[in-house]
Amino acid sequence: MSSMSTASGRPHVELRLPADSAFVSVLRTTSAGLAARLDFTLDDIEDLRMAVGEACAIVLTGATEGDLLAEFWLEQRTMTVRVSAPGAPTELDPEEDFAWQVLTTLASEAKLEHTGDTVALSLQFAALPLETGV
Amino acid sequence: MTTQPPRGESPVDLPRSAALEESRKRNAALFTILRAADSTENERRFARDHLISLNLPLVEHCARRFRNRGEPHEDLVQVGTIGLLKAVDRFDTDRGVEFSTYATPTVIGEIKRHFRDKGWAIRVPRRLQELRLQIGSASALLTQSLGRSPTPRELAERIGCTVEEIVEALESGSAYATLSLDAGDSSDGGTASMLDAIGAEDEQLEHVEIRESIKPLLDALEAREKTILMLRFFRNMTQSQIAEEVGISQMHVSRLLNRTLAHLRTALED
Repeated sequence: MSSMSTASGRPHVELRLPADSAFVSVLRTTSAGLAARLDFTLDDIEDLRMAVGEACAIVLTGATEGDLLAEFWLEQRTMTVRVSAPGAPTELDPEEDFAWQVLTTLASEAKLEHTGDTVALSLQFAALPLETGV
Repeated sequence: MTTQPPRGESPVDLPRSAALEESRKRNAALFTILRAADSTENERRFARDHLISLNLPLVEHCARRFRNRGEPHEDLVQVGTIGLLKAVDRFDTDRGVEFSTYATPTVIGEIKRHFRDKGWAIRVPRRLQELRLQIGSASALLTQSLGRSPTPRELAERIGCTVEEIVEALESGSAYATLSLDAGDSSDGGTASMLDAIGAEDEQLEHVEIRESIKPLLDALEAREKTILMLRFFRNMTQSQIAEEVGISQMHVSRLLNRTLAHLRTALED
């Protein structure tokens, strides 16, 4: 998890939304827009878009009210996204849960944290080097 | 050096052109009946019906040009036939052109209109719809030449627009909901569908260990959606690879995946 340390310091981009699944698409779009800036491929962008949606679904499961906060750390061809919302700790068995299976396939790394009454999910995406030719 | 016989003169072409000539004659004869002032109502109806059934292969042919675009072939034939009906009713025999020459653009126009108007769940500006089509073909070309999926920047350079426009157009893609999602039932006869082509995957799917609660949900999915889901998350293929394997566009794979995940999520919550 050492590479997850990039998700420290002040985020480059922050987006605060109502903790309501209706706003998740805004977040997915924002993520895609940022990834395009980092030269992610269309495949990677689609993965990111989908993973952010899944992450929000997990984080919002226990959220009753308050805000959904999305923080982005942008590196050279690497993006870390942290979505968090107030909520009770989510029971998530990493080995069993389907959504978790989806997340770990899509993202390079995924981490679920509970701090106080906040549930946060961090995802790291590393775009593949832009090689050409097979 | 071998000399090719001029086109149309090879003996192989003869039966075909003879058949064409024959259908031309029948078309002309039927139109004469349809337009003649002294034809009875019954004769006109007979001629019209025959003209339509005689030219249905033309609609089939036109519809086939739009295969693999996510719309069921039968639907395209259906809207194409509307175009044929219009063409039969509007054809002017005095113009001196063949009926097929006149009908083809009408049929294709009707099919294109179907894609343009019916395919979009939300009215998306024409500019974005067209850009999205450009992205589709540019993306296929670049994927081929690069050996990986292209970046928005590469697409923007190829098409000659900005990265923002690419992102915007890709986003509008989620407003495109094709009717094919409801289709895929090949049990009612008709032509072979994509589902038939990928049916062999099911055997492997059975070996995948799936969490118990989600298994019935997965089982309830349509075969194609299930296949795409499995290829993506259990065989770890990229959307582009899946697109190639299943024979649909990457954007369509993306839509199907998103829809399936959303569906599973809601179903699990219930």
